[in-house]
Amino acid sequence: MNARDKILGKLREARRPFTEVQPIPEHRHMIPTQDFSPREQLQLFIDEAEAVGCFVYQLDQNAAFEQIMELIGDDRSVMSWDENQLPFEGLHGMLESLGVTVAEHNDGDVQVGISGVNAALAATGSLVLESGAGRYRATSLLPEVHIALMRAEQILPDLETWQGAQKDAGYPAFTESSSTTVITGPSKTADIAHQLVNGAHGPREVHVMILG
Amino acid sequence: MSIEVQSNDFIALADIALHNEDLQHAIGEGTRTAYYRRLDTMFAHSDEHGELMRQQAAEAKRRALRELPDLLEKAERNLKKNGYQVEWAEDAAQANQLVLDIARRHQVKTVTKSKSMLTEELGTNQVMEAAGLHVVETDLGEYIIQLAGETPSHIVGPVMHKTKAEIRDVFVRELNMAPTDNAEEMVAFARRMLREDFLSADMGVSGGNFLIAETGSIGLVMNEGNGRMCTSLPRVHVALIGIEKLVDTVEDYATLTQVLPSSSTGQKMTVYTNILNGPGRAEEGDGPEHAYVILVDNGRSDIYAGKYAEVLSCIRCGACQNACPVYRTMGGHAYGWVYGGPIGAVLTPLFVGLENATPLPHASSLCGSCKQVCPVDIDLPRMLLDLRWDLVRQGESQASWDAAMKLWAVGMTSPRRFALGGKAARAGQAIMGEYMPGPLGNWSKHRDFPDFAPKPFRQLWRERRRERA
Repeated sequence: MNARDKILGKLREARRPFTEVQPIPEHRHMIPTQDFSPREQLQLFIDEAEAVGCFVYQLDQNAAFEQIMELIGDDRSVMSWDENQLPFEGLHGMLESLGVTVAEHNDGDVQVGISGVNAALAATGSLVLESGAGRYRATSLLPEVHIALMRAEQILPDLETWQGAQKDAGYPAFTESSSTTVITGPSKTADIAHQLVNGAHGPREVHVMILG
Repeated sequence: MSIEVQSNDFIALADIALHNEDLQHAIGEGTRTAYYRRLDTMFAHSDEHGELMRQQAAEAKRRALRELPDLLEKAERNLKKNGYQVEWAEDAAQANQLVLDIARRHQVKTVTKSKSMLTEELGTNQVMEAAGLHVVETDLGEYIIQLAGETPSHIVGPVMHKTKAEIRDVFVRELNMAPTDNAEEMVAFARRMLREDFLSADMGVSGGNFLIAETGSIGLVMNEGNGRMCTSLPRVHVALIGIEKLVDTVEDYATLTQVLPSSSTGQKMTVYTNILNGPGRAEEGDGPEHAYVILVDNGRSDIYAGKYAEVLSCIRCGACQNACPVYRTMGGHAYGWVYGGPIGAVLTPLFVGLENATPLPHASSLCGSCKQVCPVDIDLPRMLLDLRWDLVRQGESQASWDAAMKLWAVGMTSPRRFALGGKAARAGQAIMGEYMPGPLGNWSKHRDFPDFAPKPFRQLWRERRRERA
């Protein structure tokens, strides 16, 4: 008998009730959400994202481009999701016209990564990024600075709401993408004497630009 | 080859910890900070809501355990649909051999590792290193532990027992870091060192916080991002996951992946809440080419069959360690194996044998905090009592204890003898101070014996009746 059948056999023989904890009457969300207006929900997202250390901006495309160029500074290349995955048409061309090229998606030396998001969560100030064609994992991971471009309509109340939407769609973020990551703030560690330090391995700064 | 068990040396190890002021300060501060952050987050909305969330999380884990064999088969099917190759291991030797086989199959030289308590249990690092692989722990705390040649002292904060100066000394000694007292500079230094390993590694080894049966996904939580590196950049990813990590639905996962950090560090979500679904797809530009899941038993099916089975609900948040007055004073190393604190005092005897960990069921004041803070409501105090009972039945109780109990019975059966015993004890304490004679000396060496009340209750009662009269 192989290891699999031995383990399953032992578990089947030993079945136990595990009934000392009863289900609660109604399934609850971890953070109770109210019936927010879209405006209130946007404000909650901004507050929560800032609370975990993100920089959040509401701006139009031109102002966003200026802000992006300021973050790029003197660098001559950035990492980026493919343009058709960003809510900013023509961004790559605009960057190139100013001498900034889009590097290979796994270039470890690039300082700035630009991605879109698949959803955002108001209750926790989180960004949901699903890997896929033109949506690279490394963009939000390797650079020092991660710029996430999004639209206010992408904001959902919380993780449970996102999970419900996933269920209705047949769980694409769990079966079609090889990696879905819910990002809540910049990379951090408290391993050295409980002192919170940003930029442990991933981005030190996360800039969330809500384009209007 | 798993790590050496030293749990029967608990008293000696605790003694060492109790004489280390730096450790006491570091552990005290770390556990207290986490304890209060948990309270703020779990009960941010209301006490009632926090308690209901605990129950919702606990029920999800109990339901998964009830259906465990079926869910494992369901998970295996869906993992395969997602492109994972699924292996099973009965014990540490099988699990580690599977890891080595995979490494050999893909000509692996360098391995980056993200934090996993299971691999501590299995001794996977030592086996890989013995086979000539270059293995790098990438969680900052684990990296420091690996450089210092130690073991983790806390489930979530492996290096919680070290001060900033001690960590600096490790970096200076092992990696020639320019000395600094600035934590940010130390983190930046470690980031530079590890970045090269991340980019050159052939294989990433991770654990898994949750295994979602419904979709065949691995839930992995982290704050640093090292786990994303280990599971995204190398050609090969291997996840070692205990068979008790199963959850049935994505809805259960959504509850648990938030209850875990809320209970652990007081974060609503970890910085990265990762959902891994197999190797990189053809149309994707990155992700591993080969992805494996090794489902590991290593004693879990034995626990499943016994009266401590609910302990398999544990999601390794560390809240019981942060709450435990015993853990708070001496940290995790005194427990002598992988897991410290109340959860360790229960898991260790179950994993390594009660006879190899006889002091651990007594390493608790049974104050009940561990059950109160547990996000999945494991009745740890009851289990510790049951383990003590098991010890007695296995004949581990001492002759002196039996003699004391007999003497106590003699004293308790006559009012006159009871009064005499009280007088003798009071007189004894006046002479001996806080040290107890004979076999009780061991007890009083590690604990403060409370002073006897100056007047016994019987005398107070008599005086009171006289006043009334």
